[in-house]
Amino acid sequence: MLSESFRFFLGVRILAEMEIDVRGQTCPVPLVECRKALKKASPGDLVIVKGTHPASKKEIPMACEAMGLKVLDIEDKEGGKEWEIKIQR
Amino acid sequence: MPRSLLENPRFNCKNSRFYYLIWGGREIFENIIYLDNAACTRLDEQVLEAMKPYFFDTFAVATSEFGYSMGIDAKEALEKARENLASKLGANSEEVIFTSGSTESSNTALKGVALALKEKKGKHIIVSKIEDFPVLNTAKVLERQGFGVTFLDVDAEGFADLEELKNAITKETILVSIQQGNQEIGTVQDLKAISEICEEKDVLLHTDATHSFTRLPLSVKELPVDLITMSAHTIHGPRGIGALYIRKDTPITKFMDGGFQEFNLRAGVEDISSAVGFAKAVELVTEEENRRLKAMRDRIIDKALTEIPEVTLNGSRDKRLPQNANLTFHYVEGESVTLHMDMRGFAVSTGSACFSRSLEASHVIRGIGGDHERAHGSVRFTLGRYNRMEDADAAIEAMSEIVARLREISPLARK
Repeated sequence: MLSESFRFFLGVRILAEMEIDVRGQTCPVPLVECRKALKKASPGDLVIVKGTHPASKKEIPMACEAMGLKVLDIEDKEGGKEWEIKIQR
Repeated sequence: MPRSLLENPRFNCKNSRFYYLIWGGREIFENIIYLDNAACTRLDEQVLEAMKPYFFDTFAVATSEFGYSMGIDAKEALEKARENLASKLGANSEEVIFTSGSTESSNTALKGVALALKEKKGKHIIVSKIEDFPVLNTAKVLERQGFGVTFLDVDAEGFADLEELKNAITKETILVSIQQGNQEIGTVQDLKAISEICEEKDVLLHTDATHSFTRLPLSVKELPVDLITMSAHTIHGPRGIGALYIRKDTPITKFMDGGFQEFNLRAGVEDISSAVGFAKAVELVTEEENRRLKAMRDRIIDKALTEIPEVTLNGSRDKRLPQNANLTFHYVEGESVTLHMDMRGFAVSTGSACFSRSLEASHVIRGIGGDHERAHGSVRFTLGRYNRMEDADAAIEAMSEIVARLREISPLARK
């Protein structure tokens, strides 16, 4: 079995997935939590943000795209009451 | 990876997997353009070099000439630092004491004078409404202890009302404390007129020069100011060191008990390395640097006012600190702006409530007549030695886009 550092050296590091739940939180808390997760994440990792605040649904992709990060998906849930944003670090 | 390859524009290194393997790809949170120099500045390497010998070689406590050699050397370094600082103000060495920073300096000035004069002269002091917390909150504490405090109004640009000052001074007044340059909006007070009023009425004058010392001229030979607060952390010196100028024969009582250091006005082992660092930081500030900061400040203000709609300048257009630009971007919230700016690699601050540790919207913006909306949308850009004109341009370019996008989703903008 390859050690983590050796796999990292070869570029076969296993990507992690982080989920943050900011349902019920309003601006700017969802973006603050998203930033925190992105700081912890490694390049290539997936950050999934689950929220309810409509402005944050627009604000988070805008901030991530400005950083050069890839927003993979924005999906409405629970009949539009909730949303989920997938970002690749 | 060779440096030259990384710098080659034809090699799009930042998108390559190889780049991430070598550099970790963490640069998105690391290449920060720091525009919050009023809060704290990056230490200048030359300051650190000047300080180093007093950590490892001459580390003894300062002693009199009857002590051991290392202590005598430490004392000489301390006195040399004091002399350099005093000469910058046109003062004598014995008129400057080192403290732990501007908070302690202002506490010493206000509480020290209050203790010394409360029995002899009176129990009334005057401070402006937009002072920084060391002065403002010390005045509030004195008020709770039975002193009368007048919180002086300022006009829409932040200038103290001089007529109100004249009228507020009574026989009981022992001290006036009005800052030289404001920490948030950068307004520079007419210290000459203020000091003349105080001199004529025979009242002591303290000024908080934390943000203006070395950035603006200040000479105690020319202005009858009795006490001046200074700090190293705003001029690329070490944090944790400040100084207080106390004009000779100013009545002042030591308020923190302990040893007899600093002419028996400040108890505690002297921080020689920081004092040396402070003096070096003062030496490194040049007029050319101040002109450069002013040019960058003006670029930020001009570009923001012309290129972004619905922007208000906070403070005076001309009589302001060379390193300070403070603008309100209406219909957006300061916290959101600082957050988006951070994610794009810019460090700026806001007078908005959630950002500040006091959890209240800026007392300065409210002091100049601004409402909560103006305080919430205020963004402060403060420049330092390591900023370049390109930083000012890039900051406004980013601001322009962020503000436009935030206004699209702002309920305030839709009203």
